[in-house]
Amino acid sequence: MNNIKIDAPTIKEKVKSYIYQAVHVDKEKIRNDSLIFKEGFFDSMGFILLVTYIEEEFRIKTTDADLLEENFESIDAITDFIARKTES
Amino acid sequence: MTQKRPFSKEIIQLDNIETVVNEIVMKLRQDVLEKLRLNGAVVGISGGIDSSVCLALSAKAFGPEKVLGIMMPEKDSSPDSEMLAQKLADKFGVRSIKEMITPALSGFRCYELRDEAVKRVFPEYHPETHKMKIGIKQSGLFTSLPPMFSLTIVDSDGNQKEKLLPVKEYLQIVAASNFKQRTRMSMLYYHAESLHYAVIGTPNKHEQEQGFFVKYGDGGADVMPIGNLYKTQVYQLAAYLGVPEEIIKRTPTTDTYSAEQTQEEFFYQLPFDLMDRFWYGYENGYPAGEVAEVMGETEERVLALYRNFERKRKTTEYLRMPPIRDYYQS
Repeated sequence: MNNIKIDAPTIKEKVKSYIYQAVHVDKEKIRNDSLIFKEGFFDSMGFILLVTYIEEEFRIKTTDADLLEENFESIDAITDFIARKTES
Repeated sequence: MTQKRPFSKEIIQLDNIETVVNEIVMKLRQDVLEKLRLNGAVVGISGGIDSSVCLALSAKAFGPEKVLGIMMPEKDSSPDSEMLAQKLADKFGVRSIKEMITPALSGFRCYELRDEAVKRVFPEYHPETHKMKIGIKQSGLFTSLPPMFSLTIVDSDGNQKEKLLPVKEYLQIVAASNFKQRTRMSMLYYHAESLHYAVIGTPNKHEQEQGFFVKYGDGGADVMPIGNLYKTQVYQLAAYLGVPEEIIKRTPTTDTYSAEQTQEEFFYQLPFDLMDRFWYGYENGYPAGEVAEVMGETEERVLALYRNFERKRKTTEYLRMPPIRDYYQS
């Protein structure tokens, strides 16, 4: 899979707009550091869809070892994760 | 006001099994004979612990002559299931019949649709030479992250390959496999209606509340006599009612995919006896700290588990809901 080189602010904007359209709640309720799973914005299907979106949009491959809370717990964490993956 | 008992490992155990059985049997009679005005019971028997206890309770409630046990194997079912189900029916003197549902499932394109999705993930997969199953990838029970599902294929030499399941393929495999439970439900209702009997649903408390059932499949029934019992308690009833030992000792499986798979591996992620105790603590409002101390866990991990239970309960709420019909009132 060919990674796309993309800067962090653009990644964050893309992730935010995906999350906003996916969760059906007011944008103001989700901050960049909101814990999207712990605070109940995302459920199991939401997680599967999120991983699929990230893989398709940023052309990265998620492995078993990536499935950690610290990679997906917030918009900030997801942005960092994608940035690391697209750099590698 | 009664004082809540302190949390303990034994808190889940029933200490009055005979009374519990008699209460369930009495209520089954009232519900089926008086409320539903039906004459007996049809039970789908799989050789598993839940359906076995339901058959034994039905035989006690209506008399074995008013109960029909139906085995509904299909080509992916374990041969043990049928053998054990037959043994169970014989033990309780209940008439049993076998309805092979493979042709109906082929008619629905259950296998074709499932295999089509599997092949998109593993192009080398061939249903004649490979077995398949889906399972939970990481143990997310003690974190806030929901589980991801993986697909495993096993070739005829026993070599396994595993990949994370993309969402489209995951949904297609599950939707196609659900034809199995829905076909069984249709078959149970055919026999129930032709005998003027009730369909006895076999889900236990966990299956009901965590959403581990198929809506209008194994979740479709007239009464669910063990729907309020923890799995530990279902085992206690099984021993009391005299369910054959081989069934009691058998590891609970999904018996849904061609490769062998336990319920723990597919859904629960914890052995049932541990799951029962944590769920009891969560459901009855025991502080995570108290439960953690008794169970040898940290408070943080028990809190994460409680959040997972809460999420499962919420996200599966629609499975337990009847159709919403309050749209317009004339």
